[in-house]
Amino acid sequence: MGPSRTNASRTGASRTGASRTSASREWLKQQAAGVRPWYRGAVGCGLLAGLATLIQMGALAWVVDDVVSNQATLGDVTLGVALIVIAIAARALAQWGQEVCGQACGLRVKQQVRARLLVRLQQLGPVRLASRHSAGLASQLVDQVESLEGYYSRFLPQMVLAALIPLVYLVVVFWLNWLAAIWLLIAAPLIPLFMALIGMGAQRLNEAQFQAVTRLSGHFLDRVRGIATLQLFGLAERSVEEISEVAHDYRRRSLKTLRVAFLSSAVLEFFAAVSVAVVAIYIGLGLLGYIQYGPAEQLDLFSGLFILLLAPEFFQPLRTLSQHYHDRASALGAAEGLVALLEPDADEEATPAGSTRPDETASRELTPGAVELVNVELRHAGRERILGPLSLRVDAGEVVALIGPSGSGKSSLLQLIAGFIAPSAGRVEVRRDPAIAWLDQRPLIIQGTLADNLRLVAPDASDEALRSALTQAGLGQWLASAPGGLETPLGERGVGLSGGEGQRLALARVFLSPARLVLLDEPTAALDPETEQHVIAGLTQLAASGRTLIVATHHPAIMAMAGRVFAIEQGRLSRIERSADARETNS
Amino acid sequence: MKALLSLRPWLGVLAELRGRLLLGAVLMLATLLSALGLLSLSGWFITATAIAAVSASGYLDVFTPGSGIRFFAVSRTVSRYLERLYNHDTILRLLADLRGRVFARLVTLDARTLARARASQWLNRLTADIDTLDNLYLRLLAPPLVALISILAFAAFAAAFLPIAGIVLLAILLPLGLVATAGCAWWGWRASHRRVDRQEQLRVRAIEQVEGLAELTSYRALDAHRELWHREERALLDDQRRLGQRTATGNLAVTVGIQLATLAVLLLGLEAFRSGQVSGPVMVMLALGTLAVSEGLGNLPMAFTQLGATVRAAERLNAQAELKTPLTGERLTSGGAAPSLDYRNVEVAHGARVVFSGLSLSLAPGQRIGIIGASGIGKSTLAQLAVRAFDPQGGHVEFDHRDIAGLAPDSLRARIGYLTQRSELFHDTLAANLRMGDPDASDAELWAVLESVELEPWARSLPDGLETWVGEQGRQLSGGQARRVALARVMLRNSPLVILDEPLSGLDAETAASIKSALDAWLAGRSALLLGHDPQALPTCDDCWRLMVGTTGSALVQR
Repeated sequence: MGPSRTNASRTGASRTGASRTSASREWLKQQAAGVRPWYRGAVGCGLLAGLATLIQMGALAWVVDDVVSNQATLGDVTLGVALIVIAIAARALAQWGQEVCGQACGLRVKQQVRARLLVRLQQLGPVRLASRHSAGLASQLVDQVESLEGYYSRFLPQMVLAALIPLVYLVVVFWLNWLAAIWLLIAAPLIPLFMALIGMGAQRLNEAQFQAVTRLSGHFLDRVRGIATLQLFGLAERSVEEISEVAHDYRRRSLKTLRVAFLSSAVLEFFAAVSVAVVAIYIGLGLLGYIQYGPAEQLDLFSGLFILLLAPEFFQPLRTLSQHYHDRASALGAAEGLVALLEPDADEEATPAGSTRPDETASRELTPGAVELVNVELRHAGRERILGPLSLRVDAGEVVALIGPSGSGKSSLLQLIAGFIAPSAGRVEVRRDPAIAWLDQRPLIIQGTLADNLRLVAPDASDEALRSALTQAGLGQWLASAPGGLETPLGERGVGLSGGEGQRLALARVFLSPARLVLLDEPTAALDPETEQHVIAGLTQLAASGRTLIVATHHPAIMAMAGRVFAIEQGRLSRIERSADARETNS
Repeated sequence: MKALLSLRPWLGVLAELRGRLLLGAVLMLATLLSALGLLSLSGWFITATAIAAVSASGYLDVFTPGSGIRFFAVSRTVSRYLERLYNHDTILRLLADLRGRVFARLVTLDARTLARARASQWLNRLTADIDTLDNLYLRLLAPPLVALISILAFAAFAAAFLPIAGIVLLAILLPLGLVATAGCAWWGWRASHRRVDRQEQLRVRAIEQVEGLAELTSYRALDAHRELWHREERALLDDQRRLGQRTATGNLAVTVGIQLATLAVLLLGLEAFRSGQVSGPVMVMLALGTLAVSEGLGNLPMAFTQLGATVRAAERLNAQAELKTPLTGERLTSGGAAPSLDYRNVEVAHGARVVFSGLSLSLAPGQRIGIIGASGIGKSTLAQLAVRAFDPQGGHVEFDHRDIAGLAPDSLRARIGYLTQRSELFHDTLAANLRMGDPDASDAELWAVLESVELEPWARSLPDGLETWVGEQGRQLSGGQARRVALARVMLRNSPLVILDEPLSGLDAETAASIKSALDAWLAGRSALLLGHDPQALPTCDDCWRLMVGTTGSALVQR
């Protein structure tokens, strides 16, 4: 039970790190397209705040100079003070605007990206998703998308501001004293250079950290789900050690990221502080007349103080940017995982994509509920053929049973018909309208009421319809004893329902749905004879209602119900005549 | 606020690291004071030079303040870097320890307590909730404290030159600090408190959508489920928007307050300068110092609007800590011979539902008893009682004539091989899953046990063999394969008492038959409790009972 290497094989080894990074950067940029107005708003407000600061500092220096140098009274400088107050108000409001507009960008991008990810999950389909960690995917969908926000709400607008505002200040300082402007200018270009160097390292580390977080949640959920088993095998203590080992590993990774990230801001702060100090000393010496060179002689208290007040403000946008640099790094780290999820993977390319998306080629001639398979083959990349070539026509209203040892491909055949996987060759024709009913051994129980769980498949169904479906599925008594009736809350993974009850709930969904074609993957496995009878009675009723049933099963009663029984052997179908021997081997 | 009490246990944990935390806070203070020194000294210096230039003497010692400025420039950078690194290390250290602790507590809980919460909730407690707690020291405790100290210190410093300036400073900055902390906390409380649960809810929906995609797509119910998702996502985004706006407003208040305080000190200074109370350089120094010292208030609104989230995380972790105390007992030291197992007048109720009332059953050493019954009737409960997954409300269970309520669960479980109804496999390799049964098993032993569950040819055909990853919950395997891996794992344990819950479920008739005969041979010399819905689905039993719904809970009926 070593630390799991969840995605090691999946992160396309063919792509180099650099091209991955540039792909994620490109992707991040694309996402900004839909939020331009808010983005411009944030930048505009930031600029306004910068200008207001400029006015505030100028007025401040003017007031001080007037009082100190010209012995003005406070009454004389009322205009200056009023200007300062107005500038302060404008600056605070503009900052508020920048924050709010920026956040609007971030929230909108998150919403867009989540919508795209959901579509992507649907595209991947249940079979390909089965190999992925659902907690890992959930963390991508919720937490990693969450970490995109800072990039759009803070980093992107600040990037423009960090270029524009210092430029404005520089022009003003240049106008006041060109040598002081040069002092600032010398430090300024070094800063982005250093930050770029350090930022690259920080980003790589951030990516590693994101992988660690994904792995960490996967690892935790896996172990937490299996706690009962860990206890049974006496592995509880060992897994505690393992958990804290993984957590400490996470800490070490985080710290590496942080060390580099902090270094970048320290470098920036250092340059900012040194520049301010140099400017201050230059101005001081200039005022004293120690510097004979350049424009130092023209310095007075107004220009000196103004420059001194502007010097920290000159660096402030850059410092803010560097504080938000980790927003960019975490967005890039998240983007890499998201891009990998959003782009087709190798497995997908191997299967001829879209050759038979059942819903597209669904021939109009087929009646609802009918299925036609023509020379269908199925193979997984790099593995033996699983099924085929096989052909099968099932007419509407037929009941077909599929038997065969576990792992023979019964489930794959059902998945083909359901359209979860595309055949490697041949055609699958199914009318997917209005829907296909699907029932396997792991019924989905969503968090919500019993009614929510049922209405998932028939949103407009009346309470009466829900009750009747539950009764047909053999849950009538359960419903009668349930504390809240149809409003009884059910939890994730059906806590509160036994396995048999969950299965019958899934069956109630079949009754409720308008689907004409019902695909069932071992519907009676692990049910007691009584529940089984309910289920089988339900299935008989379904068949009688004219629905088509295709069932993978070992159960003799279901086989007896079937019009045709097929055995799957080495990927091929062979018809079993309905005779006594089929029953004998299984009962 | 009563809700803040839930932070207490975590403050206690912080107190264990007092030394580190104190040093961290001192570094924070050093950073702020360096910034203060840099800005105010520069202001003093420039004004002093300007005055010296216009005055008659024209002399000023430029070297002392010059080196002071350089010193503060360097000390600010260094102390800031060290402070951030040191404090984050402390916090991460703390968080990693907390993770281990929380999981350790989790792993000792009994099965029924665990079943009360959902798996992803536990996960969230372990990761996100603990992560959220890092705000406690780094954003919520230390910064306001440091801000308070530096404001008081600077106000005293200012008062030494100009008493009224010190008073005005306190009069503006202290209420401002209160607004930035308590005010913002109160204002953001509801939305941030709720946000934690909403985010988790979204995670649950995401897991549902991934795990239930087969049903959702085929029923075309994906849109209906997405509607649920979108509704919850919107609620989350609305909360985030609200919090963002309130943070922005808090920041606005702080900016205005700081700037006005600076202006007020400047105007007071100007007045005092004109009346000759203070010198020009001091006047400028006080104004710039006010600006610098207020920097400590800057990040508070952001941190405190999120206070509710930190408290919510603490509440949930506390709730977990308050769950039932772990089961303990004496170590079982008896040998490895087949034991007896006796249920005596056992009473169990799940909430209002009585499962057993006065149920008795005896399993003699070496005996094999089959229990047949419908699903949900209590077969698994019977097995859970035997491994002391929880204790019955009445009566007792005896292992080799010793009441298991007095035995350490681990030592008891070490003597029982229990195949649970659900094949719980881990996201790990086939070999690692098997070795849970016997950590020291050689590869040859693994192959042998795979052969007895008819998985050997399949495992040989895998490119990675025993090192094949089985996927989350063994999803890469078919249901029947996962069942047999779980069975093989139990067989490797080689324990004297065996409990098999539906050992042959999900297997085709042929495989089931050959595994049945393999089990018949393997069970020789062991005591066994075999649970199933049908005698056909079990290995041969000496004795068979049927568990049926009775008037007061389920009852055993001899077949």
